[in-house]
Amino acid sequence: MKYSEITIRFCGIAGDGVVSSGKILAGACANIGLHVMVNDIYSAEIRGLGKSSSTIRFATSKLHSMGDGIDLLIGMAAKDSIVDLRDIKQDGCVMYDNSTPGSVVEEESLVAHITPEIHGYGLPIKQLANEASGTNQGKNLVAMGAICYFYSLPPEMFLDQIKGIFARKGEHTVEVNIKAFHLGYEYFKDNYPISNQFEINKGLEPKKLISGNEALAKGAIDCGLKFFAGYPITPATKIMEIAAKKLPKLGGWTLQMEDEIAAISAVLGASYAGSRAMTATSGPGLSLMSEMINMSVMAEIPAVIVDVQRGGPATGLPTKVEQGDLNIALYGGAGDSPRVVMAPCDTEECYSGIQLAFDIAEKYQTPVIFLSDLFLGQRIETVSLKPNIDRERCTRKKPTPEQLKNYLRYQITDDGVSPLITPGEPGAVYSVTGLEHSVTGNPNYESDVHSMMTAKRFRKFESMVADLPQADIIGDKTAVIGIAGWGSSIGSILEGMEIALKRGIKSKLIKSIMIYPQRENLFREFFASCKKIIVPEMNYQGQYAALLKSRYGIRPIEVHIPSVNPVSPLKIAQKIMEANDELSQ
Amino acid sequence: MSFLSKRSVLEELERAKASKTKQWRDNLPTWCPGCGHFTGLHGLYEAVEKLKIPQKDFVVVSGIGCSGRFPFFIKGFGLHSLHGRALPMATGIKVANPALTVVVVGGDGDGVGIGGGHFPHAARSNFNLTYILLDNSIYGLTKGQISPTSPMGMKSGTSPYGNIARPINPTTLALAYGATFVARVFSRERDIVSDIITKAVQHKGFSFVHDLSPCVVFNKLVTYNSWNNMVEELPAEYDPQDRSKALALAESADPIYLGLFLQENRPSFDELSNRIKDELAQTA
Repeated sequence: MKYSEITIRFCGIAGDGVVSSGKILAGACANIGLHVMVNDIYSAEIRGLGKSSSTIRFATSKLHSMGDGIDLLIGMAAKDSIVDLRDIKQDGCVMYDNSTPGSVVEEESLVAHITPEIHGYGLPIKQLANEASGTNQGKNLVAMGAICYFYSLPPEMFLDQIKGIFARKGEHTVEVNIKAFHLGYEYFKDNYPISNQFEINKGLEPKKLISGNEALAKGAIDCGLKFFAGYPITPATKIMEIAAKKLPKLGGWTLQMEDEIAAISAVLGASYAGSRAMTATSGPGLSLMSEMINMSVMAEIPAVIVDVQRGGPATGLPTKVEQGDLNIALYGGAGDSPRVVMAPCDTEECYSGIQLAFDIAEKYQTPVIFLSDLFLGQRIETVSLKPNIDRERCTRKKPTPEQLKNYLRYQITDDGVSPLITPGEPGAVYSVTGLEHSVTGNPNYESDVHSMMTAKRFRKFESMVADLPQADIIGDKTAVIGIAGWGSSIGSILEGMEIALKRGIKSKLIKSIMIYPQRENLFREFFASCKKIIVPEMNYQGQYAALLKSRYGIRPIEVHIPSVNPVSPLKIAQKIMEANDELSQ
Repeated sequence: MSFLSKRSVLEELERAKASKTKQWRDNLPTWCPGCGHFTGLHGLYEAVEKLKIPQKDFVVVSGIGCSGRFPFFIKGFGLHSLHGRALPMATGIKVANPALTVVVVGGDGDGVGIGGGHFPHAARSNFNLTYILLDNSIYGLTKGQISPTSPMGMKSGTSPYGNIARPINPTTLALAYGATFVARVFSRERDIVSDIITKAVQHKGFSFVHDLSPCVVFNKLVTYNSWNNMVEELPAEYDPQDRSKALALAESADPIYLGLFLQENRPSFDELSNRIKDELAQTA
């Protein structure tokens, strides 16, 4: 068979080298210029023989999602791989370890579960690894050799990776791993003379692999992040680790606080003192931060809060993805508490979007909640990150000399933004408070003042709209089936639209990194041009759909996927086709 | 208020005239007449005046409670934060701009009740800031409920049959948490309060001042008089360098010792973080 796109999953338990297998294969593919996306899944338990898997999708053209199903499953641990057999596509394959046939009971045997639609290939993984290293070391390289032969991939792309990755462990390790690779390759060649072909264009530029969390941290640092405070939490910790490593080199600092309340408090303190500051957390942490986010609203202190969403509520599903925090991000404050909510849809937007988040926070003196998610944050993919050099970096509004003569921290202005000076700067001093206050900042509970100040805080969101990026409309503009999506499920929506299009059904998508506020006129026009509107998202309630319904008065087809896995593009395609069927009835 | 009667009114007027703290006064305090917090506020006026701290570089951070209004009564920058969160907010300010003089003010409920989880970490990190805890053993702003420092048996709106939890001793906590400057003062002693607060602000590292600051309206059990009968200066020969000795004296309930329990020279957060930054700059 000929392929232009392949999905391979390594599945095993701790010690099988599953995640490093994914890294080697992904690195090899990226090096020869392929587009790659990797999704690792592991259990929330550290100890014991927890199952883990690494799924690698690579293709000759841009990938938007992990797609549907896998072409090849490598069952490093037989028992734990059984459940993954159902993800194998029609005519897909599984490689299993046949080093010691008959050594396990039938229920735990992978071979016994292989159905007729799947091709099974036995490979003595453990035995060959022992032949190469004298131990189990190199099991994953045996499998890698087999993959290389199986899809007629050039062995050099793997050999370069092996040398690069194992060089620091010494020459012997490199040799052992190369030997393991060759043994796997030769075994397959001798036993399974198949010639699958993956189309490779030679001479492509190598691509860089990066995760959403890494891209986000890099984006924040590239746009002047000086202070980070956080509390470790899956799946956001990586952002904090990068900040901890990089910021001291740039004159900044990262504080690990005693809890998320302290983290957001320190962020507001640092921002009040003039630094670009942020924190990153997940749902449980965002819940704890609610009150201090309100302080940011009330005292008008800029802050960027990243929520890498995981399954909820409560401690929920720490290692599984869900888009369930939209409601708390939008509505999680007491009182009339406006905050900017943004959601990047891919790794590139993690990088560029966080820079926009800072610009909005600084210019409009407001909290910005940036909703990434576990799938987006942890998946590794090939991307090119473009710094936002086309946009001037926004800074805080400074008082004019005239304004400084009688400085008012919360001066009423047309755009709602008051000129701001920072502790340490000469000219004026003031105090801020979480209490309602007058223009001076002094506490004031009069009804008129409260109305005036609330209106001022909301007015910033009206004036902000002109600064916001346009919403993107993707697909056939003449289509009457429209989709509105947000966050990381956009990738699956795009692929679902492509699948539907191949079956002759046109659709279009409206997406914006901005959840609140939005450029509402664009959304209104889009919805007016649709006969059917579909809103798919990874939560049970339809949180984005609820927002769109109340804001635009639409009645969409809601697709709620309280997901532990990224959204299936096929499911989106089905919904598009169903909508089409309803239209043609 | 026996302390006023000790000095003639004329003497007081003379002192007030000579005082240069006027320029530090901001909004008129909203506290009840006789509140112990006036002494702490006056102490801070004197400290910043004596140390010639520029107002633009001075930040007072407070939590919620009667003490929370502090920033509005003293010139300089102020951050009236949320209940219990003054310390972590101050931490962020200090790390973002180490040149600022940061003083945190809070009450017993704010500091060892709702915000009790932040105190150990600010202390052990030895952030270069001053924390004044004005302890009146009552929730005053909510009109009289027991606090974490209220004595056992104390009756209040929320403890109608008497408090059955052992009170917390904030001085002991500060010592156990690793603060590098720990003192206890009594709002009756205005000059001592000013002197200790001045020393605390001067200290390099986390300085803690536990101010016994009576609530004259809502606390009928813990009062100027009750404390007056129990307080005693630390022994003259006491040397504030031994943490375990300091702990033993701080724990004493009768007498309640006043004075400087501990002053220790340990590198502050600023010094240690700068050391790392410098090393990184050299290797870069």
